[in-house]
Amino acid sequence: MLAILRDLIRYNLEFRIGLFLVSIVVVMAALSVVSPYPAGDVYVVPPDLPPSTAHWLGTTSRGQDVFWQLTAAIRNTLFFGIMVAALSRVIALVVGLLAGYSGGWIDRVLMSINDTFIIIPLFPILILFYFVLRDSMSTPLLATIMACLGWAYDARLIRSVALSLKTREFTQTSIFSGMKTHEILAREHLPYVLPIVFSTTMNNMNWSIGIEVTLAVLGFTDINTPTIGGMIYWANQHTALVAGIWWWIAFPIGLVVMTFVGLFLLAVSMNEYIDPRSRLARMGGGR
Amino acid sequence: MSALLDLDRVSKSFSRGGLFSTRRVAAVKEVSFALEADKPEIFTVIGESGSGKSTLARMILGIHTPSSGQVRLGGRDVTTYDRRAFMAEVQPIFQNPFEAFNPLKQLDRYLFMTAERFGGASGKTAAEEQADVALRQVGLSLAEIRGRFPHELSGGQLQRVAIARALVAKPRLIIADEPVSMVDASLRMSIVNLFGRLRDELGLSIVYITHDLATAYYISDRLIIMQKGVVVEQGPARAVLSAPTHPYSRQLRDAVLTPDSAGAFRAIHSRQAVATPGVSS
Amino acid sequence: MSGAAEQAPVLQVRDLQAHFRTHYFGVNREVRAVDGVSFDVNRNEIYGLAGESSSGKTTLIKTIAGLLKPPLEMVGGSARFSFLPDWDAVGRAPPEVVRAIRWRHLSYIMQGSMNVLNPLRRIKHSFRDFAWRHLGGSKAEFDLRAAAHLERVKLDPSVLAAYPHELSGGMRQRVTIALATICKPEFIIADEPTTALDVVVQKDVLGMIRTIQQEMGSSVLFITHDMGVHAALTDRLGIMYAGRLVEDGETPEIFARPLHPYTRHLIGSLPRIGDTEQREGLEGTPPNLATPPPGCRFHPRCPLAMSVCTTTVPAMIETLSGHRVACHAVNPGMAA
Repeated sequence: MLAILRDLIRYNLEFRIGLFLVSIVVVMAALSVVSPYPAGDVYVVPPDLPPSTAHWLGTTSRGQDVFWQLTAAIRNTLFFGIMVAALSRVIALVVGLLAGYSGGWIDRVLMSINDTFIIIPLFPILILFYFVLRDSMSTPLLATIMACLGWAYDARLIRSVALSLKTREFTQTSIFSGMKTHEILAREHLPYVLPIVFSTTMNNMNWSIGIEVTLAVLGFTDINTPTIGGMIYWANQHTALVAGIWWWIAFPIGLVVMTFVGLFLLAVSMNEYIDPRSRLARMGGGR
Repeated sequence: MSALLDLDRVSKSFSRGGLFSTRRVAAVKEVSFALEADKPEIFTVIGESGSGKSTLARMILGIHTPSSGQVRLGGRDVTTYDRRAFMAEVQPIFQNPFEAFNPLKQLDRYLFMTAERFGGASGKTAAEEQADVALRQVGLSLAEIRGRFPHELSGGQLQRVAIARALVAKPRLIIADEPVSMVDASLRMSIVNLFGRLRDELGLSIVYITHDLATAYYISDRLIIMQKGVVVEQGPARAVLSAPTHPYSRQLRDAVLTPDSAGAFRAIHSRQAVATPGVSS
Repeated sequence: MSGAAEQAPVLQVRDLQAHFRTHYFGVNREVRAVDGVSFDVNRNEIYGLAGESSSGKTTLIKTIAGLLKPPLEMVGGSARFSFLPDWDAVGRAPPEVVRAIRWRHLSYIMQGSMNVLNPLRRIKHSFRDFAWRHLGGSKAEFDLRAAAHLERVKLDPSVLAAYPHELSGGMRQRVTIALATICKPEFIIADEPTTALDVVVQKDVLGMIRTIQQEMGSSVLFITHDMGVHAALTDRLGIMYAGRLVEDGETPEIFARPLHPYTRHLIGSLPRIGDTEQREGLEGTPPNLATPPPGCRFHPRCPLAMSVCTTTVPAMIETLSGHRVACHAVNPGMAA
């Protein structure tokens, strides 16, 4: 594992840049633990101060320090993205591998469920959930709902790979070596779909963070939990741009863009590394 | 005289086409033959692409279910077997040795897995012991294979490992689907001779599926020749190939290009005949 | 058909070297797939190249044809065609020169016909794509010419209107032969063109390649691992092992008097119908070309290996008239 990291850092520029950007974001998120101000409190510092040595990124009209507010917000937003991505990856992997490998009625049932989720209009459903649940709508609950809605495309992608893996001779060798279905899926086929899982994880995190920001800006989430979207929501509520409090909006947006780009670069470079073909080439096989 | 393997008028058809124009295409039609339990032999199925020989192999292995007829192992319908009990009796060897094992995984784990699941090995040492015995039967050893990846071995070695893996399960029957067609010529005869040894020394019966008449003549005891899913000729291998009676068998036999100087000279003479004006068409 | 120009070889390969160079995350590999190969292909002959997987025969013809894509690189030597006298290899000529000679002077018959034929286009469109600009004339004239040419490979002109998937494997391979030959090229490279075919069809297709080659007086470089095909088709034959040519000469001569132990084994190990003699496979493994054995690359598997074989590369010597072999046991004391 460490050797892989060392190789990637040494030979891949994209990985270096991605790692750098994501490290900044992660360090920001980690700093939330030592924040001098509780993230939920307002009017703890003088409002509307521009960036200075006392308040590096300025303060908001609600009397919060932008820097320390940002650390809590990016932590919550990252958690949210990771939660959605992890949950939906598990669903997509199980459904995709199982449907592709099993075929027959299992495939038909799973894929009709899958296609239902693909055509459901996402945004109205989310807003509907908000209006039904209102105050009980917490971040983990929203993440679960998003994960349940965000796996279908990737499951289809994974299924198509599983379909071709099923016809390869080593799958038959595995069967006749006495492996059970779940062993074949987890040990033999998983390495071939990991690149897809990786690149879709990045896509999925970006997608879910994007939706979360959108919902938050519109006020359809739990706005009392600080998130990037929540910060922009409050900034809009206080017409920050009109009032010239640009730092309240610019820094959250800058940070979320940094997250997107960093994750993208990491995914791209790691994808190249774990791709079975390039892995084989490094091992000395395949030409 | 009980039958080890017994095919009784086995047919298989697949449906082709779309929603509105489904038609059934027969891949195998009414094939019957039997292998005796107390008389190990190499039984060859000869056919070209589209002859249904691979479909036949898959039916014997229980991967496909026959559309009609029965494949019986030890008198019992293959489709009624518990799959695991069946795999302990019948093991396959596939065409492409480079595809037979996951390229990203080490080879020995397939051997250990088979030993634990079918060979009755309990624990790692017992599995290693069984794998080593099987590898020695094919002229390799566990020391050579341990921790190796497929790309580190030649096609011939990989095919031996595939055979060793099948042997670990201690089967009574091996189904080998074109086992040497992707193995280099210089290594091919080692594999073919190995099949002969498995028959003579371990008493294994082998169904050898091939399009290569020369190795079929060399190693097999009996054979059937298939064309478009139908058996056109069957009998003792050397007798049938020395004097084929069905027109298709004769056509096949005559198309075999012999790698010897006589063949080369004959071909050159016929070439000159073609080159002469008036003789060529 | 006389004069010095006619006698000169169409293709002269001299000390050709081609390597695969890869670089993955700090792991550098150099695979010397073709390492110092020299031979000639004369006018109006079929020159066969035999060898197993990893013998470098496919790399050799890719290099000769100038189909070099990274990581494959031509490292040294030359492969000079008589119709391209200004360049010492197709791969070193500028792209516009290469485009002008492709199909017109140098064409290919590949193993998978589907690699050449576009599955979404009718056969006649494939013909137009490849050959029209070389032959010129109106579209109708060209189609007539294509139809006439298809009859040479015993295909009905209606094939022109078909899509590739509507044809059988044998018919498709005949279409690719027709495509490769319609411009009457001087040189045709055929890479395992019959390996995927059934034996009955293979015999037809081989006969067809021979007939067309003789009608046009072209030269063919024919690659296959199948010694039976070489015996039946080729005029001269080169045997490759681990990136080097180990023997070449007239095909009947090689089959009658194989000199190199590897060639002897290749010919001797194959079973024949009507012959029950015990045949043995060759022990050992083909070498890994990233770390080939020193000296003669065959020595670890060679029954005649001597101490000199482990250290010194044997020279390719014309031992009998027109019959070259690289082996210390045959030519004592001849180092490369």
